[in-house]
Amino acid sequence: MLKKISIKKINDLAAALMEKGTLLAPVKEAAGHNFAEIKDPQQLDLNYYNTIVSPKTVFLPQKEDFVRYETAKPVAEAQPVALNIKATFLFGVRPCDAKSFQIMDIHFHASGIIDPYWQKRRDATVIFGCAFDLDIPAQDADFYQTLGIGAADPEGSDVFMVKKGEDLLMKAITPQGEEILARLAMLGEGKPADKKYFEEYIKKGSQHQTRNMCLDPQVIAKKLEDIFHSGEFWQAQSAACLSCGICTFVCPTCYCFDICDDTLFSRGVRRRVWDACMFTDFTLEASGHNPRTHVYQRLRQKVCHKYSFHVRKYGVISCVGCGRCTRYCPVNIDIYSIIQDAMKA
Amino acid sequence: MTDFKQIENNLKKEAKKLLESAEVPVVLAYARGYDDKHPMPFAAKSVADVEKIVFNEYCNFNMARYIMRFPDAAKIAIAAKAADSRALVVLIQEEKVRREDLVILGIPASGMKDPKTDQLIDSRTTGGLYNPVEYDILLGEEIRGQKIASPYAVLADYEAMDKEARWAFWKGQLDKCIRCYACRKACPMCYCDPCFIDQNKPRWADKAPQSPGNMMYHLTRFHHLAGRCIDCGECSRACPVGIPLYLFHKKVAKECEEMFGQAAGMNLEDKPVLVDFRVEDSDQILR
Repeated sequence: MLKKISIKKINDLAAALMEKGTLLAPVKEAAGHNFAEIKDPQQLDLNYYNTIVSPKTVFLPQKEDFVRYETAKPVAEAQPVALNIKATFLFGVRPCDAKSFQIMDIHFHASGIIDPYWQKRRDATVIFGCAFDLDIPAQDADFYQTLGIGAADPEGSDVFMVKKGEDLLMKAITPQGEEILARLAMLGEGKPADKKYFEEYIKKGSQHQTRNMCLDPQVIAKKLEDIFHSGEFWQAQSAACLSCGICTFVCPTCYCFDICDDTLFSRGVRRRVWDACMFTDFTLEASGHNPRTHVYQRLRQKVCHKYSFHVRKYGVISCVGCGRCTRYCPVNIDIYSIIQDAMKA
Repeated sequence: MTDFKQIENNLKKEAKKLLESAEVPVVLAYARGYDDKHPMPFAAKSVADVEKIVFNEYCNFNMARYIMRFPDAAKIAIAAKAADSRALVVLIQEEKVRREDLVILGIPASGMKDPKTDQLIDSRTTGGLYNPVEYDILLGEEIRGQKIASPYAVLADYEAMDKEARWAFWKGQLDKCIRCYACRKACPMCYCDPCFIDQNKPRWADKAPQSPGNMMYHLTRFHHLAGRCIDCGECSRACPVGIPLYLFHKKVAKECEEMFGQAAGMNLEDKPVLVDFRVEDSDQILR
């Protein structure tokens, strides 16, 4: 099913989706766009490249409260925090990020242990993917082509959207996508010419240049195993690294979290918050021992987890080449260059 | 003004000399990153490394941040622009490093840019000085005759706000914080190990990125930098969500300067204002 709408009427579409559930889309903030709930249909605009923080926030919020308790009362009286799930439309997801959800599903669902928080949100959400604008060159940091993802790749989306002049073409990719498009009365039918344009755009998207190298997951996994103990390599790669958490927090495939109890005056909340392997206390053990006291050990962990351990365990690289870690690194550490250097090492 | 390419050549020349003669085992400078617009802090450890050194308008990192990473090096050479040199002065005053263990390669520079915005980095977000305040070798001509704008001029709008408006302003800004801690990691003065926010016995604040914990983290850090911040602006440039941290630091620096007559990191002979006590000191702080 291919539908279309004039971009001028995009706010009507926003209003219709808001009637049917929660609409989340890129919203302009001081430093750039981020996914946020659309409260006013006029807020929806398509003029963004990609968001600062990845849309993983929608399924794995940085802070998730589990249980509220009072320390003076018995455990049985602790109150689980209800998961108030509503139908959600995640609008404007770039192809690399749509792909990231499938990688994250491995950890939160497909490997057998189901995280109800992730899964319920995932089930309730329809993903409206949106192709990158092929008339604009990809940003220097991006390398999704290396990971086999096209700039107009519908994989991972329920509905996929492509701009055609003044129109926005919307194609249903999954049954959920079919269902929602059928319920949106203001959409027009796509003409055969639109269908042709859409299909050609997707093909053209796979040729859209980002940084690109030939990367076999098994080969890079093995290579990183071979150089794991090369202190010289990792110290040189991490010489500038500040060991802050930007790269992991903006990353669409970083999923580490910490469970903590925040208690104030005997009332508390048990919650999970994102953690980052780049933080010193990430591996701090109760004994006081810390197996990763050096910056190079932490950066090595991050790179090897994505490009080696993850490949060995699940068969796929845990990176989609969105370029966020490189783009927001205060000292320009670039995971693509590290992988390139590792292949040559 | 000596152009950036010439400074790069001079930097390479001096680095080569220092490494060749084994006067220092490491020269802290800059290297090319994934493209010319994105250079990286770099530790040259051999003559072969020297060729990788670059200098251009995007080399705005504060290299003093890295000075304590080489506990085994008896002596370190460091490329230092105005702000970096001020940071070194504070670190020397605070006895984190000894002056005689440093070879400071001073870089006079104007026209540095933020690669994220391509905007000029000037006195609005930094101290706005052009020449290093302390150096052994100057890698270009001292910049004279260029207007030095007050680093506090940018505070006009902020100071026009009343107490409630300022609280609302900071609450709004700090609510954006995602607690990646890039600000403290980019800061040359943030060397506490462990940082109070990482301590868990006691834990000083929530780990969650929300109002009380964010306030606790930033307000403590702001005040911990009172009289120490040298206004390099690295915290604000590092911030992925665009919190103008420099405003608070500038405000505190201004008050310090008014009360104690000295700006941080300008003179090796100064004592840090919150360490020193003089009978004639302002008692305004006790208001």
